Amino acid sequence: MTSIAADPTPPDVRVAPPARLGAGRWAAWLLLIAGGPALNLFMQVLGWEATPPLDRPEVSYVALHCAVPFVFAFSAFVGLQLGERRLPIVLMIAFSYLWIPQTFFAVVAYFGYVWPILRSIDLLWALLLGMIALAYPRGRYVGRVDWTVVGIGVGVSVVRAVFVLIADKTENRDCLCVGNAYALVGDQSTFTTVDLIYRIFGAVIVLFIATRLMWRWSRGSQPTRSVAFVMPIGLFAWTAALIAEAVSYGLHSSAKGSFVVAITGDGAVAVVSLFAVASVPVCYIAGSVHLRNTRGRVADLMVITREGADRTAWRDELARVLRDPSVEVYWWDERSGGYHDDQGEPVEVDLDGAEATRTLLPIAGTGGAPIAVIRHDRALVENERLLDGVSAALRLSVDNGQLRGEVERTLAQVRESRQRIVEAGDEARKRLERDLHDGSQQQLVALAMELRTLVSAARSEGAHDVAARLEEALSRLSTALKELRELARGIHPTVLVEGGLALALPELASRCPVPTEVETSVDARPSELVEATVYFVASECLANIARHSGATRAWMTLGCAGENLLLTVRDNGHGGASLDAGTGIRGLVDRVEALGGELELASPAGQGTTIRVMLPALSTIGA
Amino acid sequence: MTDATPGTRLRAAVADDAMLLREGIGKVLADGGVDVVASVGSGEELVAAVEAGGIDVAVLDIRMPPKFRDEGIVALESLRASGSKIGVLLLSMYATPEYAMRALDAGAGTGYLLKERVSEPHTLVAAVTTVSRGGSVVDPEVVAQLMNRPRADGPLSTLTARELSVLEAMAQGNSNAGISRQLFLGVKTVETHVRNIMQKLGLDDSPDNHRRVLAVLAYLGSR
Repeated sequence: MTSIAADPTPPDVRVAPPARLGAGRWAAWLLLIAGGPALNLFMQVLGWEATPPLDRPEVSYVALHCAVPFVFAFSAFVGLQLGERRLPIVLMIAFSYLWIPQTFFAVVAYFGYVWPILRSIDLLWALLLGMIALAYPRGRYVGRVDWTVVGIGVGVSVVRAVFVLIADKTENRDCLCVGNAYALVGDQSTFTTVDLIYRIFGAVIVLFIATRLMWRWSRGSQPTRSVAFVMPIGLFAWTAALIAEAVSYGLHSSAKGSFVVAITGDGAVAVVSLFAVASVPVCYIAGSVHLRNTRGRVADLMVITREGADRTAWRDELARVLRDPSVEVYWWDERSGGYHDDQGEPVEVDLDGAEATRTLLPIAGTGGAPIAVIRHDRALVENERLLDGVSAALRLSVDNGQLRGEVERTLAQVRESRQRIVEAGDEARKRLERDLHDGSQQQLVALAMELRTLVSAARSEGAHDVAARLEEALSRLSTALKELRELARGIHPTVLVEGGLALALPELASRCPVPTEVETSVDARPSELVEATVYFVASECLANIARHSGATRAWMTLGCAGENLLLTVRDNGHGGASLDAGTGIRGLVDRVEALGGELELASPAGQGTTIRVMLPALSTIGA
Repeated sequence: MTDATPGTRLRAAVADDAMLLREGIGKVLADGGVDVVASVGSGEELVAAVEAGGIDVAVLDIRMPPKFRDEGIVALESLRASGSKIGVLLLSMYATPEYAMRALDAGAGTGYLLKERVSEPHTLVAAVTTVSRGGSVVDPEVVAQLMNRPRADGPLSTLTARELSVLEAMAQGNSNAGISRQLFLGVKTVETHVRNIMQKLGLDDSPDNHRRVLAVLAYLGSR
């Protein structure tokens, strides 16, 4: 019984979910499922009618016997609805059909070439029952042990069927049958021995399957118990029934060789046996539903994934979901090219190495790049859909994290570059103004002084003509200087640089044709960029008020709100301004957002316009 | 120092980081009968020169090293803080009323002129003389800006054209005598106008010229 450790780990536990059934296929399945029990019922009634009244079994027993295929068909139906694998479903349906041959011997007892065939296949249901139990809980056979057991079961059943066909004779039977048309060999006692051996053999196999499940359950870890649930109970009941039946059959056939007893078994044992048989598909479906519930816990993982939990939390949650406290998650680290545990310590992971009780589940991203390895209890392999869900959750979590990281990085880059662009523009304007101030303006002032000297010189020499023309030139120069001054101020107001917003905003407002009240209550000066942005926004707002609002008054306040600078510009105009209307407000929003600020516009028709700008002003330079 | 004895020449210090202008200003002052005893390139140097003594009036650029912001005004404020009462004339490339007010707030004997006034020698020399005597000077451009500020209807709109001219002259720092000279009006007439203006605007008429200028500027600066 070292089968657990010997079980090769399935290379890939991911399972494609069963395809959704179309309406036509559903109908076909339903017909197939319903056909078994219906046919059973029909044949059972026929058989009952054909059996001499004295030989008839009790009605209650017949009713129970007839109910068994109903249980199987119903289990198959539920399994189909739950999206179970096809193998157990097909086996359950096949079972309900192979149950039929036992029901109507009496009908065909007079046909020597019919009844032996029925007899030869009348115990094949036992093979199917074993196969159903063996397929639990994965719904398929994995590994050498499974396939060996299936092979032995099929082989023995075929041998037995052929043997029955050619060796079952009726001489010693308490039966109204005619002779076996296929009888070739042996006498009745040989046949009975072989039949008994078959039954005992069957019991042994079932016992093996049950013990294997039980052994896993009792020796296994917590996850194992949660996987191998309920089924062994049904199997043991059936084994017990089988053995009892075999013993009873042996006794009967050696003593009396009653045909009827051979078919129906002996009283109480037979009833228990029927219950045990019927319990197998029920257990199968119940266990499957239980596993499904554990898979439901994967949803908890998804919640963590959404919340972007750290790696330790992920491991803890995984342990809870898998009911495996010893579970470990090793995360792939791209830089070192190896796996790390959730504390960031490097871990040696040998994906090909086998451990006795633990299994490694590698998880790769969409591109095949390794994400992590989950080291979990080997028993969890049984619940491959659970692991499949866990893998998917982990993959999602990592993908999610990577995507979020990427988006955040990109966003940060965009923010930075946007701020740099604004900064660069601001810097360029400042440099331009400085160049004008230190260059052209100084030069022109110096030139004006020079011209004035020339005027005096010309006057003193009596060249009044020249003096007058020089005066004319001087006055034009003065106009040019004035224009240059306005230009430079427009490019970058020095009053802003020199006096900050407290001076620049009133100065700005004083140029607005709409009378504007200004109130500033900011002690420390924010960074130049913030100042420039506030000034730019205020300037645009006032320009809009002058151009579009129809206002007769405006109010501007600048204050602090926590660590933010709050600028409010309000007018009593006709409102109706919007961010889309091409009033340049969009540009303001861009500039404000480039510095991580916010701009709110409230402009109900007929009620004036209010623009509120919030700018983070953490960086302050000396007040 | 504020009362330079008639006949003695004023001793001036000039501060401007642009050599060309510094020398030009020096030349204009010298031609106007003012001795330029110090010529420096920054506010700090100017303060040091003034503290060294022997200076009656300082002419300085507002925007100078190291930060090219408001070093001139800072130097003025530092001089006033240390008790110096010498005349200080600030020069600026821009006409900024807020600066003019900040400068005058520092105390009497202060002027604020556009830099291009250096090409009008008598304006510059007159301003230097005025501030050295404790008077106030505000550039006409600045006053014009203040007068032309858009504002809601108020007392200002009740002033006659003549009274507005008198107000403008007051804001430029002129005394009543100065106003009478500038507008060719009798001193008595000017006094009447001034009284009316102050009454209409609700300002206290102060015999102190500096305080009167401040009051008028503050009135015009507010809305």
